[in-house]
Amino acid sequence: MSDLAIPTLQAEAQRERSAIGSLRLIQTACILVIALVIVSPLFMLLIASLKDDRFQILADMGSFRAFWVSNPTLSNFAEVSNLSGELAFGRYLLNSLFILGCTVGAGLIVNSMAGFVLAWGTLRGRALVLSLVIALYVIPQESIIMPLVIMVSRAGMTDTFAVQIVPWVASPLYIFLFYQFFAQLPKELFEAAEMDGASVFRIYRSIFLPLSLPALATVSILMGIESWNQYLWPILVTQTDYARPIAVAIATFFGQDSIYWDRAMAASVLMMIPILALYLAFQRWFVSSFVGSAVKG
Amino acid sequence: MASVTIDQVRKQYGAVPVIHDISMNIEDGEFVTLVGPSGCGKSTLLRMLAGLEDISGGEIRIGGRVVNDVAPKERDIAMVFQSYALYPHMTVAENMGFALKLKGEDRATIEKSVREAADILALAPLLDRLPKQLSGGQRQRVAMGRAIVRQPQVYLFDEPLSNLDAKLRVTMRAEIKDLHQRLKTTTVYVTHDQIEAMTMADRIVVMRGGKVEQIGKPLELYDRPANTFVATFIGSPAMNLFEGSIMDSLFVTRDGVGLPMPADYRGAMAEVYGIRPEHLTISETGVPATVVVVEPTGSETHVLVKLGSADANLVLKDRVDLQPGQPVQVAPDRAKLHLFSAQGIRVN
Ligand SMILES: Nc1ncnc2c1ncn2[C@@H]1O[C@H](COP(=O)(O)OP(=O)(O)O)[C@@H](O)[C@H]1O
Ligand SMILES: [Mg+2]
Repeated sequence: MSDLAIPTLQAEAQRERSAIGSLRLIQTACILVIALVIVSPLFMLLIASLKDDRFQILADMGSFRAFWVSNPTLSNFAEVSNLSGELAFGRYLLNSLFILGCTVGAGLIVNSMAGFVLAWGTLRGRALVLSLVIALYVIPQESIIMPLVIMVSRAGMTDTFAVQIVPWVASPLYIFLFYQFFAQLPKELFEAAEMDGASVFRIYRSIFLPLSLPALATVSILMGIESWNQYLWPILVTQTDYARPIAVAIATFFGQDSIYWDRAMAASVLMMIPILALYLAFQRWFVSSFVGSAVKG
Repeated sequence: MASVTIDQVRKQYGAVPVIHDISMNIEDGEFVTLVGPSGCGKSTLLRMLAGLEDISGGEIRIGGRVVNDVAPKERDIAMVFQSYALYPHMTVAENMGFALKLKGEDRATIEKSVREAADILALAPLLDRLPKQLSGGQRQRVAMGRAIVRQPQVYLFDEPLSNLDAKLRVTMRAEIKDLHQRLKTTTVYVTHDQIEAMTMADRIVVMRGGKVEQIGKPLELYDRPANTFVATFIGSPAMNLFEGSIMDSLFVTRDGVGLPMPADYRGAMAEVYGIRPEHLTISETGVPATVVVVEPTGSETHVLVKLGSADANLVLKDRVDLQPGQPVQVAPDRAKLHLFSAQGIRVN
């Protein structure tokens, strides 16, 4: 009986193993194809930005030469990286970085405080406030953008940095993210600090905030990307180079009759670099914190 | 240091009462344990002392001062939580010094106090570690260190040993008791483990269902339990209880087994007969029984017998040669028996 059973089991195990092996292969192939599809336009962009001749770029599109540059040059970057005057992408880049820094910095403080109070405060009607905050998330930005534009122009805030920062600092999504993170920390931690004599603000600052690094990282990245890609709002509230962000400035290329593809490509690469660097730096955090908040949430 | 007075304290969550009119007085320097089954309200009472829960009625006084509306941090008490609640991102030293830092003490003072507490608890080599780098017993000691550093009027412990393994629990039990003997600070200690309560306490408060069943010194509770609940809760294996009634000079159980009574018993009607396992012996003058299980523990032998249809536990000091199914005679020490009314109240 057992003499018969064992070889059958082994054969079955082997068949199973080879089935798993070929499944792996198919998976890997699929992932490679997807990765290629995603990466190739970015690669093309990078290659094109290193080509000097804008007509050549157009001619190369649609053939494999789009992925190859024989004599790379940084002259396109030099042309667009001015700090003032025409093609002041150096300035736009700095503007965008400044706006991003302020938005994320203020956003971390404001949203985490709100999330903390909603999770641990003694305020009556906290649950109601929380559901109102979540309800706000349903409202799309675009639907309130015109009233907002009128508001800020009446307030004389057009063409400032503040107008591009302040409206995006507090956000229902990030308040909720922090709320969720803080709410799952143990009650005893709060109570122990309370008995140690800490005020509510002190508990937030010295205990809960230092423990929320994963949430801080997630919110930083999401807010950073959101701020970096802001387009509609800055178009409506900026008129000069003073506070114009790079996403808006790039669009001006494509409104012209004859597009300088070489410069447009270089400017696009400039815009991509910081956010790509941010993502790569925080990549591990980003994924793990998403998984973490999903599992614990 | 301070005394603690709990005066007709009540607690309800919404309409559900959890603590019913509890009163007790805890003397300055006393070690009192609150013991009772899970869910009986021990933690709730302790948390009301700490100020972490509002009081629905009554009064709590610490050192003569009514603290009903005093914030936890102003009560001058320290609490050790079951989960320890150490701050995960702070080192042992930072954990212990946090309260002093909040008080605005200068660096040197904090360092000195932390070092003293660390010496008492043998934590000195661990001061720079994070909680996650410590074993369960070490974390437990840090949690105590955090309380000691503040030199509070009262220590509150909520089942501090329940996350430790059995062996460490015994060690830490002795350590906490020793600490109390050295510091002599009033301590209220919650546990569901009656052995912990018995071994550590000056006085024990036995609770059930939000009420106090009995307050007394450990051996008082053991020798004279006020009711059948305390009788069976304190002591392991638990006291044997037999239902029945008194007939002449015997207590006759439901099965018609006649148990001896003290000759001079003049009490009220007793309907429950209680005898501790160690007060039952095997003797030719006893009542007939049948051996069910024999458990040698080394130092003593636990024997389960059937008296009629009722189970009875015996703890024998000697090693005995008994077989399951063997008929024996068991004799209660009639001076040590406990008699209870039908309602379970002690009558002798
Ligand atoms: N926040 C609360 N809301 C409602 N009921 C509670 C709350 N906290 C505790 N209880 C109830 O109070 C009773 C006593 O709880 P607790 O003091 O934690 O018991 P113990 O510590 O003795 O195990 C339990 O029945 C529990 O369900
Ligand atoms: Mg409890």
